[in-house]
Amino acid sequence: MIATNAVSALESAFHRRNYDPSLAVWLVTGVAVVALFALRGQYDWVTKLPEELVIPLEAWLNAFMDLFVASFKWLFRAISGLLEWPMNGLQALLHWLPWPATIAGSVVVAHLAGGWRLAVFTLCTLMYMVIVGYWDESMNTLALVGMAVPLSVAVGLFAGILDFSYRPAKSVIQPTLDLMQTVPAFAYLIPVLLLFGFGPVVGLVAATLYACPPMVRNVSLGLQRVPVDIVESAKMSGCTDRQLLWWVRLPAAMPTIMIGVNQTIMCALSMVIIAAIIGGFGDIGWEVLSTMRRAQFGQSLLAGLVIVLIAMNFDRISRGLTSRQRVSQARTGTLWQRHAHLWVALVAIMVAVALAQVLPELHDYPKAWIFYPAAVVNDAVTWFTANYFFATSAIKSWTLFYFLLPIRIGLENSVTPHFWGFALNLWISLGYAAAVAGLALWVDRATSWRGAVAVLITGGLFYFGTTGTPWAVFILVVTVTAFRVGGWRVGVFALGGLCFMLFTGIWERAMLSVYLCGTAVLIAFLAGGLLGIWAARNDRVSAFLRPINDTLQTIPLYVFLIPIIMVFLVGEFSALLAVIAYAIVPAIRYTEHGIRHVPAETVEAARAMGCTPRQLLWQVQLPLALPEIMLGLNQTIMLGLAMLVIAALVGTLGLGQMIYIALTAADFGKGAVAGLGIALIAMITDRILQSWSARKKVELGLA
Amino acid sequence: MSDILHKATVGAIGVGLAAALSMATPAGAGTVPESTDPIKIAINEWTGQHITAHVAGEILKRMGYNVEYVTAGYYPQLTAMEDNSVTAALEIWSSNIGEGYGKALATGNVEEIGDLGLVPVETWMYPAYVEEMCPGLPNWEALNACAEIFATPETFPKGRFLDYPADWGTTNVDRIAALGLNFVSVPAGSEGALVAEIKSAVARQEPLLIQFWKPHWVHANIDMKIVALPAYAEGCYDDPSWGLNPDATYDCDWERGYIKKMIWSGMKDKWPAAYRLLQNYTLTNEDQNPMMKAIDVDSEDLVEVVSEWVDANEARWRPWVEDAMK
Repeated sequence: MIATNAVSALESAFHRRNYDPSLAVWLVTGVAVVALFALRGQYDWVTKLPEELVIPLEAWLNAFMDLFVASFKWLFRAISGLLEWPMNGLQALLHWLPWPATIAGSVVVAHLAGGWRLAVFTLCTLMYMVIVGYWDESMNTLALVGMAVPLSVAVGLFAGILDFSYRPAKSVIQPTLDLMQTVPAFAYLIPVLLLFGFGPVVGLVAATLYACPPMVRNVSLGLQRVPVDIVESAKMSGCTDRQLLWWVRLPAAMPTIMIGVNQTIMCALSMVIIAAIIGGFGDIGWEVLSTMRRAQFGQSLLAGLVIVLIAMNFDRISRGLTSRQRVSQARTGTLWQRHAHLWVALVAIMVAVALAQVLPELHDYPKAWIFYPAAVVNDAVTWFTANYFFATSAIKSWTLFYFLLPIRIGLENSVTPHFWGFALNLWISLGYAAAVAGLALWVDRATSWRGAVAVLITGGLFYFGTTGTPWAVFILVVTVTAFRVGGWRVGVFALGGLCFMLFTGIWERAMLSVYLCGTAVLIAFLAGGLLGIWAARNDRVSAFLRPINDTLQTIPLYVFLIPIIMVFLVGEFSALLAVIAYAIVPAIRYTEHGIRHVPAETVEAARAMGCTPRQLLWQVQLPLALPEIMLGLNQTIMLGLAMLVIAALVGTLGLGQMIYIALTAADFGKGAVAGLGIALIAMITDRILQSWSARKKVELGLA
Repeated sequence: MSDILHKATVGAIGVGLAAALSMATPAGAGTVPESTDPIKIAINEWTGQHITAHVAGEILKRMGYNVEYVTAGYYPQLTAMEDNSVTAALEIWSSNIGEGYGKALATGNVEEIGDLGLVPVETWMYPAYVEEMCPGLPNWEALNACAEIFATPETFPKGRFLDYPADWGTTNVDRIAALGLNFVSVPAGSEGALVAEIKSAVARQEPLLIQFWKPHWVHANIDMKIVALPAYAEGCYDDPSWGLNPDATYDCDWERGYIKKMIWSGMKDKWPAAYRLLQNYTLTNEDQNPMMKAIDVDSEDLVEVVSEWVDANEARWRPWVEDAMK
């Protein structure tokens, strides 16, 4: 029905304008879609690929992995044994140091990096760990991060230099990085677990691998951006290639490389927390995970806050040291003046160690002094659940029936008298089709036929649902979109990726993930965008949102699953909220950043021409901030997909659940296929959006 | 929890020291300990298991062994036992072992050394106050009449049955159909999700029908009742003609499972007496429940609770030790 209307709408557009080849492509697509929908009653293969065509890729991968593990296990176990030594050493050192000594040392470093404010912040952070009683767990986490970061930086530096200086390597490294950054972190753990065995080394290896890509990218980017004149003058003064790299290029690229180091630290920390699921170390991530499993929200929040604070400190300190390094190059003074911080730290640590010999409280913080307010938090959640459940459940039902269910199973299957007040019959369907067609026509008149095509696709999706749309239709529409937006390369990539999901038998799960992640991203992007706009125009809102964003992005999100479930119960809605909570952050940040960085003179000029604030926003600021905002959307999608695995703990059925099952059963094939599925969804949407955004940039004259 | 970890990590560091000290007094043949290397006992995520692990560890320590507690995921611990990264995992539930269990045993490096003695009950449960809302409970036949009080908007008009996570291998979809119940199975995603639902229902005093198990620390806080389903008997799971419904399997309660102790195979050569002790070791629901209550409800320290129990129950474990030393 809809498609027939689609054809007529497009035909009218066709007559009104001159011949447009891309419109013809869409007309053909529209006809094919109608044909496929007409066929779905007669032929099963339109909606479900015959079983015998499914490739048993999971089994093949498992067979390969079994063979690989059997042949090379000794090698990996040897590496594992080798890594264990320095790590146990570092761990033992951190435990041996009395807590005041560690605190003193850290505070001095923080002062060096960011002055008194940062020093006080670091002091508060570490005191929090001590007072809440998570000191030992925190030190274990620090030992892991402390080992993973140097390893990761070394590997990243090497790969980055290789990527920059050796062309053939680039064609291997770049796609590998794309894959590594889109495959969910949980999927990494399975092969690492199989190869490296059990215990903290697994977390170390996983964190090292996971934290590499940003380092590689930044090293390579930094080397490329070294100004030509610097390189030229170095060559003129007779540098050899090696000298050129180590004495000229790398130092000149240092600022960019240090950004990479900062991101590597953050990635390593987040992976260390995720790797806690394997156990073997008693770190703070394990504490969060095991309290979550016991549904103790207060406890897991207190442990989760430790991680937030650690992350914030790492971030601020590493950034502070980076910017400091740039100014400090030409300093003079006596030995004492130049190394004042070092001396202070050494003295403070020695004093603390000495005092701890006399006062045992300084070595092991007494249990009696621990302040652990978990019960208060738990009581608050229980109180809220008992008193406001009626309100939250109304919100949930409303969203579920008018938004989520139609997108998943379509209006076709979800309109029932119980909630909608009427049953779906032919006339109502026709009325809906007419309404969508009317809207499409209006959009066509008001903007362009492209908008009309978008309306028709959305209308059709809402009617048939993500899971009700035959695979052939889905593949066709996505491929054509990719082709039209990004050219034949992107089109072929999209087609290949979708076929992978179809023929490996994960199509239905993938569609559930697309549905859940898609709706979550939509909501996160709209809500985050609005908040971002608000924050861009109001400094107070911005200051209020910043710590919330920091927290949401660094806290292990298991923490929030428990209160979400208590208030909204097990089900899709809870999973949706969990994904949104994580994915909303980049939408807010990038929108705010984009709008705030619209050149001031442009804004002034617009004001001088008499723009109202609304016009200023819609006609000037938002269009100019579009590249940033699209980058935010891209990140929102990536984080949404990454969060699917954690949302599986609430009870979803998509690819995220599949990875989780694979992890608990150490099934490499299953985890790899599901992980690739998520990576492909991410990469396809990424390519389409990037092409679209690049095109818009050209249209707006920004590129 | 943090105490255990604290002890575990401090223990881990202490191990080196302890090992160095005991090297000075070499153990002769036939004396305990046969080796001063630490026996590593797995710590999983639930309190009952912590008790099981620590009681065994405490007894081993009193025998003179060096014991270390290692936090471990449920599946990874099976792999870990293959190379003595974990020496013993003492609470492996038959209902929740999956493929990894068979794989680990097949390597020949992991061994099963008998039942722990805890009797697990996995079945349908509800908070006690639900009996007032649905008269006729605990009898399962009462459920259909009050399906609507269990309903949520997603399941209406059917009742909502909160099931195990999809990957735990639940048979309740078949069971609900076979018993002709007007309910929908909704899978939870994790143990945390199941517990959070129970807490939420109790806070609101609303009905809840859930697939759950005993022993579990939740029962120390919350009075959960068991639905009286038709008792399980041989044939129910594979013979449709058996039971109430002549055309369906699973028209009965869950089969009662068992809980196993598992160890690294090398243990019997490295620490023969400790190996025999773990073989003899049993712990029952009656032992675990009061300790679980003390820890989770009265917030007492796990190590102290366990140590008190071991002091008070020497009569129980002394014969195991004597047998092991023979």
